[in-house]
Amino acid sequence: MEILPFLILPFIASLILTGIHAYLGVHVVERGVIFVDLALAQIAALGAAMAILVGMDPHGNSAYFMSLGFTFIGALIFSFVRSRHKRIPLEAFIGICYAVASAAAIIVMSKATGETEHLKDMLVGNILAVSKPDVIKTALLYGGISLFHFIFRKKFLAISLEHDTAESTGINVRLWDFLFYASFGFVVTWSVSIAGVLLVFCYLIVPSVGAMLFADRIGTRLAIGWTMGTLVSALGCWFSVQFDTPTGATIVCTFGAVLVLMALAKAVFFRVKSEKPQQAVQAVSKAG
Amino acid sequence: MKLQSKSVVLALALAVLASLLSPSAAAAKKLKVITTLTDLASLTQEVGGDKIEVEALAKGYQDPHFVEPKPSFLLKLRNADLLICVGLELEIGWLPPLITQSGNPRIQPGGVGYLDASQFAEILEIPQGKVTRAEGDVHPQGNPHYWLDPENGRRIAKGIAAKLGEMDPPDAAYFQQRYQDFEKRLAEADKKWLAAMAPYRGRKIVTYHRSLPNFAKHFGLDVVGYIEPRPGIPPSPSHTIELVGMMKRDGVKIQLIEPYFDLKTPNSVASMTNGRVVVVLPSVGGKPEVTDYFKLFDYNVGILTQAFQETK
Repeated sequence: MEILPFLILPFIASLILTGIHAYLGVHVVERGVIFVDLALAQIAALGAAMAILVGMDPHGNSAYFMSLGFTFIGALIFSFVRSRHKRIPLEAFIGICYAVASAAAIIVMSKATGETEHLKDMLVGNILAVSKPDVIKTALLYGGISLFHFIFRKKFLAISLEHDTAESTGINVRLWDFLFYASFGFVVTWSVSIAGVLLVFCYLIVPSVGAMLFADRIGTRLAIGWTMGTLVSALGCWFSVQFDTPTGATIVCTFGAVLVLMALAKAVFFRVKSEKPQQAVQAVSKAG
Repeated sequence: MKLQSKSVVLALALAVLASLLSPSAAAAKKLKVITTLTDLASLTQEVGGDKIEVEALAKGYQDPHFVEPKPSFLLKLRNADLLICVGLELEIGWLPPLITQSGNPRIQPGGVGYLDASQFAEILEIPQGKVTRAEGDVHPQGNPHYWLDPENGRRIAKGIAAKLGEMDPPDAAYFQQRYQDFEKRLAEADKKWLAAMAPYRGRKIVTYHRSLPNFAKHFGLDVVGYIEPRPGIPPSPSHTIELVGMMKRDGVKIQLIEPYFDLKTPNSVASMTNGRVVVVLPSVGGKPEVTDYFKLFDYNVGILTQAFQETK
């Protein structure tokens, strides 16, 4: 296969994405903030649009820091909102942020400049065209962030899994929420710029959801998620070559297909286990 | 082990020697040309004949600003002897990383196998003075939609013929002769196109994107406005109202639009001005029957003259 050398970089890139996103996905699913990555990516895009508005080079460093700054503002908003209003679901605020940031970016672009191509570029990076320096940079950045999360894993897990209990044990929940969203926003902004919104969303959510079909323990879920992400990346790259389809979109659809297969497998082979929670639900509903 | 590697080296040396000595073996190998757009592929085919193989990356119905890269693009670029692109930043959103990733040293910008066709063409709308981002998605080196003028088609074909001759000297005369033939046929066809369009010279038209200045110039059409308020920016209400007012005042009836733009605003402008939306094809292959550069103009001139007749 002559095409294989071209797929090595995209494949390595997707492995790196799997590594960090399957982990962050566990947090995101536990917190019930599924669309937070889309919202943060959109806020970052708004930052990029603002950078172009004030005349910065869209590919320069200052524009990157501008969009990162906007991402941190988004992180700040999410960490504050969660602590204040417990009755309103955080997902509602995330949706609002997404819509407003998207619309604001459109207005900013229409007012100031016409570099919509750059904005679209930023939103939909293409994993097929990822370069070697990008892969190395990504590996280093994500290595650093993973280390940070590993060192403070107890705090991060505590605020994600049992937010209320964590608060009572004296953890500065707002600070750690902010650190979570900030590091998360940092990762997502960068991932989106190399792989595109859809692919990043899939790497984040699908392995985590797939793992939850089969396991409850965090460690097991991570193992399943990583395995699934790796397999789907390889399969997706292969399909993309086989049918000559855009690589990113093909991986996304492969994720969907594999998730369906996993759900079917669970229904067929794990029926006995899954009956228990149903009985419990029935018991609860009867009692109610 | 040693013996084997020696014999391999010997075999390789013999193969190299053989290929150097026998011109027929070298001539049998066709130049592989990859173009970004179908129009360039058609022009290359005209002058290259059966001495080359040419293929375009983008499809004729795709917006050349945004082309979704596929794995096969990399393979094609890797094996290409020559890459011909439109240049002037038209393909900036998708081509540069693909060229880098192809790992093909010949087709890197500045390499022997990289040909920017814009150097041969007459380029319009080259910004004077400093380009500011505030003017929209202006291409700082001029308008890249330059191939829709038969004069430019001729110039580009000439440039490509010279380049092919440079890369394949034994066939240089063949390429030149094919170019001469193409030039003659193009001149005849152009006479026919100009005659068909002659009654409508000086007509005012509106286009969606700033993509038809060369076409308009060649056929003497006067582009007085654009549906887009600025290149690459979707239509806004105030701009559209202004445009409709201007079109009514000046009696402008015809809007030209490429197949990949949204028809909603043009259609409502057409109903307000009692005019027509004409979907012109920007590239060869925009419709299945438009298979080469000649048929592209046949098609566009055909639908335009019809629209002009119907909106007298």
